[in-house]
Amino acid sequence: MMRTRTILAKFAALAPLLAALLLGTCWVQAQATKKLPYIYTQWKNFGVADGLPSDHIFSVKADGDRVWIGTEGGLAMYNKKTGKMKSWTTKDGLPWPAITGIDIDKSTGDVWLALFGGGIARFSGGRFDHYHQLNSGLVNDVVYGIAVEHDNIWAATTAGASRYNKVSGEWTIFTEKNAPMEEIWNYNVSYNGAGTVYLAVWGSGVLEYKISDGSWKEYLDPDGEMEIDLYRDDGIVQVITTAVAPAGDGFFVSTYFGASRYDGRHWRGYYNLDSGVPSDFINSVKARSTDEAWFSTDKGLGVLTDFDSNTWVSYRMDPKTHHGKATVYKDREVLEEVETETGIPHNYVIYAELDGNDVWIATSKGLSWGKGSDYYPRLRDRGVVSGNLAAALPAAAKGGE
Amino acid sequence: MSLRVSTIGLVAAVVALSIPAVQAAVRPVYIGSRACAQCHEGAEMGRQYAKWMSTKHAKAWATLSMKESAEISRISGLREPPQKSPVCLGCHAVASDTEAWERDDLFHIEDGVQCEACHGPGSEYANQLTMRDKVAAAKAGLRMPNERFCMVCHIEKGSHTAVLKSEKFEYRKYLAQIEHSITAYGSNSGGPPEPKLVGPEKARRLIGSLACGKCHEPAEKGAQYSVWRMGPHAQAWSILSSNKGREMARQAGVPGEPGESPKCLACHSPGALLPAAETYIPDEGVGCEACHGAGSDYAPEAIMKDRKAAVAAGLQMPKLEGCNHCHLNAHGRPFDAQSAFAKIAHPAKTTQPYAQPRYLNPLRLAERPGARELFVTFEAAGSVGVVDIATRKKVAEIPTGTAPTGIAFSPDGRFAYVSNREDDTVSVINAAARKVIGSVKTGGEPHGLLTDKDGKLLYVANTMSGDIYVYNTQNWERVRVLSASRGPWSMALSPDGGSLLVTNTYSRFTEFRKPRVAEVTVIDTSRSTVEDRTVVPGANLMMGVAWHPSGEFALTVLNRTKNLVPMTQLTQGWTITNALAILWKDGTVDELLLDEPNLGFADATDVTFTRDGKHALMTSSGTNRIAVVDTAKLLAVVKRATPEERAKVLPNHLGKSAEFVQTYLKTGASPRGVVTSADGKLAFVANSLDDTLSVFDLAKMQPAGIVDLGGPKEVTVTRRGERVFHNADITFRKQFACHSCHPDGHVDGLTYDVESVGIGISPVDNRTLRGILDTAPFKWAGTNPTLSRQCGPRLSVFFTRLLPFTADDLKALDLYVTTIQRPPNRYRPLWAPLTPAQRRGKEVFERTRKGNGQEIPEDGRCVSCHPPPYYTDRQLHDVGTKQSFDKEDKLDVPHLKNIYDSAPYLHNGMAHSLEEIWTVYNPYDQHGVTNDLTKDQLNDLIEYLKTL
Repeated sequence: MMRTRTILAKFAALAPLLAALLLGTCWVQAQATKKLPYIYTQWKNFGVADGLPSDHIFSVKADGDRVWIGTEGGLAMYNKKTGKMKSWTTKDGLPWPAITGIDIDKSTGDVWLALFGGGIARFSGGRFDHYHQLNSGLVNDVVYGIAVEHDNIWAATTAGASRYNKVSGEWTIFTEKNAPMEEIWNYNVSYNGAGTVYLAVWGSGVLEYKISDGSWKEYLDPDGEMEIDLYRDDGIVQVITTAVAPAGDGFFVSTYFGASRYDGRHWRGYYNLDSGVPSDFINSVKARSTDEAWFSTDKGLGVLTDFDSNTWVSYRMDPKTHHGKATVYKDREVLEEVETETGIPHNYVIYAELDGNDVWIATSKGLSWGKGSDYYPRLRDRGVVSGNLAAALPAAAKGGE
Repeated sequence: MSLRVSTIGLVAAVVALSIPAVQAAVRPVYIGSRACAQCHEGAEMGRQYAKWMSTKHAKAWATLSMKESAEISRISGLREPPQKSPVCLGCHAVASDTEAWERDDLFHIEDGVQCEACHGPGSEYANQLTMRDKVAAAKAGLRMPNERFCMVCHIEKGSHTAVLKSEKFEYRKYLAQIEHSITAYGSNSGGPPEPKLVGPEKARRLIGSLACGKCHEPAEKGAQYSVWRMGPHAQAWSILSSNKGREMARQAGVPGEPGESPKCLACHSPGALLPAAETYIPDEGVGCEACHGAGSDYAPEAIMKDRKAAVAAGLQMPKLEGCNHCHLNAHGRPFDAQSAFAKIAHPAKTTQPYAQPRYLNPLRLAERPGARELFVTFEAAGSVGVVDIATRKKVAEIPTGTAPTGIAFSPDGRFAYVSNREDDTVSVINAAARKVIGSVKTGGEPHGLLTDKDGKLLYVANTMSGDIYVYNTQNWERVRVLSASRGPWSMALSPDGGSLLVTNTYSRFTEFRKPRVAEVTVIDTSRSTVEDRTVVPGANLMMGVAWHPSGEFALTVLNRTKNLVPMTQLTQGWTITNALAILWKDGTVDELLLDEPNLGFADATDVTFTRDGKHALMTSSGTNRIAVVDTAKLLAVVKRATPEERAKVLPNHLGKSAEFVQTYLKTGASPRGVVTSADGKLAFVANSLDDTLSVFDLAKMQPAGIVDLGGPKEVTVTRRGERVFHNADITFRKQFACHSCHPDGHVDGLTYDVESVGIGISPVDNRTLRGILDTAPFKWAGTNPTLSRQCGPRLSVFFTRLLPFTADDLKALDLYVTTIQRPPNRYRPLWAPLTPAQRRGKEVFERTRKGNGQEIPEDGRCVSCHPPPYYTDRQLHDVGTKQSFDKEDKLDVPHLKNIYDSAPYLHNGMAHSLEEIWTVYNPYDQHGVTNDLTKDQLNDLIEYLKTL
């Protein structure tokens, strides 16, 4: 339930306005409308008290009604239909507690886990199968990310990428020996569902693997500078990449020094100084489309909601009040600020999962479920919401409908 | 000598001019003995090539065409003809395990065990510059074989001894026979001779016998090339270089070397004096064309199929006069052309191997919906029999793939689906037309299969690959690969169609010396995904499964093997007890023994319910019975028990079966599958080892006849052995058979505490019986030199606990065990090229240097202890795996054939995967030098190992 700080502090002063709303008066509509993005205002947070094995959340994966949550202390599954949380720790057969990545094999329903220090695991029908560097062909046990591609399971590890074919049982390792990997520290792996696997590699930018012919293509920072980015839109802003989010014919890529968007032809770089991304230290990125990408940073969540207009929404938690704050930016100009009683639980955001219109945000202090029942993509004409009115806005007004 | 200037010469010249190749990165290739002969044939070189030509080594490949070879192959459990078998070719030829790119065009496998068999592939050292520097030659790959090397092939082989009655190979004695030092032959020629052409150039040219052999070699054409190759004509040229040949030439007044004398060559290598194509090599002696005329014009297949055209093109049929021309009174000897002609007869008809009856081995059966017909898989015959239920006659037999095992029907009865265990396929049969209309590729070793309720999806359990394939039966697209456990085996669909149970025959891997647990994989058919994995504690070899008509529970049969206690432990049923498990629909399990206190129910194999659910029928393939279980009494026993009794007492209680088994009914030999007829009146049991079906009247619960499926009535020694293998009569209380630990001749995946070395000491991993005849000695300690000893006295003392087999039974058992075949390799189809990873792995397997260039001691190389063709040197080695409770440090080197399907590994099964052998249990490089390998190299090595 969304409420404004003002509502909490000055309920009495708000009474006339509420009365007006009850009478059907729409004060907002009286304001000048602008093209504005959707703002998530309904957040439900989860922590250890809600059944999570740990409140250090590393990964989330939605699979229909089931949402799989990887934490520092184990695996959890939240059932959206029943509202129940179930968890597994090493006592329950989970091979390793820290789960840094999750992907679902859509054809079998099996859950694949990246275990930070423990290899990878398959969770199937209640059984954990453990693959690590001693009992299998996995190149290294420090696994950051995992992705299912057809019959293959890809794992991003500190010593290269591994690919396991679950049908043939063959393990293939990709390192500097057989891929353009200047460094082998793989931070993430993702599959675009259309024949291309992307690796985000510390120091090697983005590596693109074409399944059809086994060819590689590398995307590096053209200016070759590690400390500065001479030309923002010439390529990846930095080669120390943390994740790739496929989108359309290209992708978004996050780095510890900003982010980039690539549409297959053109590049666009993003920094905190000229966009709504809360920080240049970006842990991961997920894309809903070529227009919308969610960047998880050490200072909050930044969402590029409309590429053409460079409109962003940042979501942060006020450390003093623990209330949420959403800020709409166009470039660096603030268009709107909305405060919510509940927001993301911590500003150190590690991962964002897009679940239909909903989002799941993994932070270093809990998990947050952003409900987007009235979500709309890109921008719409609607009135600017001032902070103390947001709680009262009906959905239609927020959506400009 | 008069080798023509040919491609060989050009190659030799190029090689001679090239820089000696000593770079480690260069991969040498095989160039063939004739390339060696360029330098090693001259008199100054001791006529080494000709000497080799006259040895058995040169005929080694050709001998594989003999019917004795076929018999050796059969009793060795090899499935390919000897000249196509990697195992046979491993010792009867050179470079048989190489890919095409590793062999020069002039290399011919038909040359048998040629120079490079002993001296290594020659491309890098076969030039004069290198060969004159022994160090350089060695660096370039020249190998000087020693006794250990030779004995890899010449070590006694049970198969060869049995068939050929050959004497023991004495290395020193036979080494003398192939002695070919340079100094052993006086030099008198002054260098290689120039090619000589005698007579007018003719239009027709010789093409060489090898070219003829391309068409005239197949066994079905009488293996004519091999027959010639083994005969004296093929040695006619090389004999000229022998001391005897030289002496005879001297007596005949021939000056110099007979091999260079036109007079001698006219009869010993007539082609040497005639026009020839490049393919012709005079060293072939008296080849095909010596009698049949130069083949350049008639050799094309199209011409040879037209006799008149062939004759017109120069094909001649030899006449006795032609033979007399050379043989009559040659060297003062008389000659009977008629009898000599008969001796070299080489008719173009099949060489008949020892004939073997074709048994059927019915395994599983199913009634075709809507038709009163049973379809029965015939595992040994590769077919499916159709039995008319009314007449109880076999009315049809439909050829399928190899080793058909499971069978299921589409719900409408139009199609039968048959899993072919050794082809990795499912045959789709038009049931009415009795015809296979197609097949689909499955995972490894498919067993059970079933459709969902409406027949839209077909589920196939792949035992070897441990997964379940799901096919759309409309387009045969594989829509799912579901992870099972180890050895998914049988399937049962719940009455409502919502849940499919899949038994897994092997236990999951558990910690070393911890109790095993088997899994029933539960599939939600609405989503075709794994819904649950029911754990059955203490179970192994879980096989048949059937749902009760109520849908409340299912029954499965299994072994409860007490492998963790010494085999002296007799309490509650000794080493292997046989049980059923009740699989409740809520995922809980009850287990009860089917054994009686003094009579085991060995190898419980399959189960079915009567249509009313009042009884369950279970087969015991080890005791030739079915048990009729009263379902109500069974449930009553369970419900009376406390939770603790259900968990701990019932699974081990020998007295309980008397409370729920209504009766036992006798079957034929080794009953496997059991079904009840759709009308609920009859039950049918497939008796796999007498090729019959037993029929039972379910109302009376009595036998109601036998269906003869038409197998041979003759009981061969092998068949007798097969029955002994599958029968529990020999064991104390008939608790188990050989088959109990070696299902399908393979392994049960368990480690046993055999007290021969002391209780609790030296637990040993079970080893496969597939294709092991020539891998003696047996046991991990290598203490049993023969299978007879392994299956005879040792079995009696430590396993069966009764009098040993009779001599005849033991002989039969041994023969049967040796014929158990390995399935085709799943990772490399026969003679298929290696994948890049496999190819890299082979280099690791054969490497002699570490990554840093340091030489690996011979004993630290994979290939030293695991040489082809079986990949074992059959010796004992200490690989550093001895544990505190082990007695022996030196262990028998296991063969590596199909190593991928016999996990766990190492002598006590402590390595669950191939990787662990080196990542965990080889810390000091005692099990091969491997610790310098990078992870990707180790992966490559494993990919290669899986191809062996």
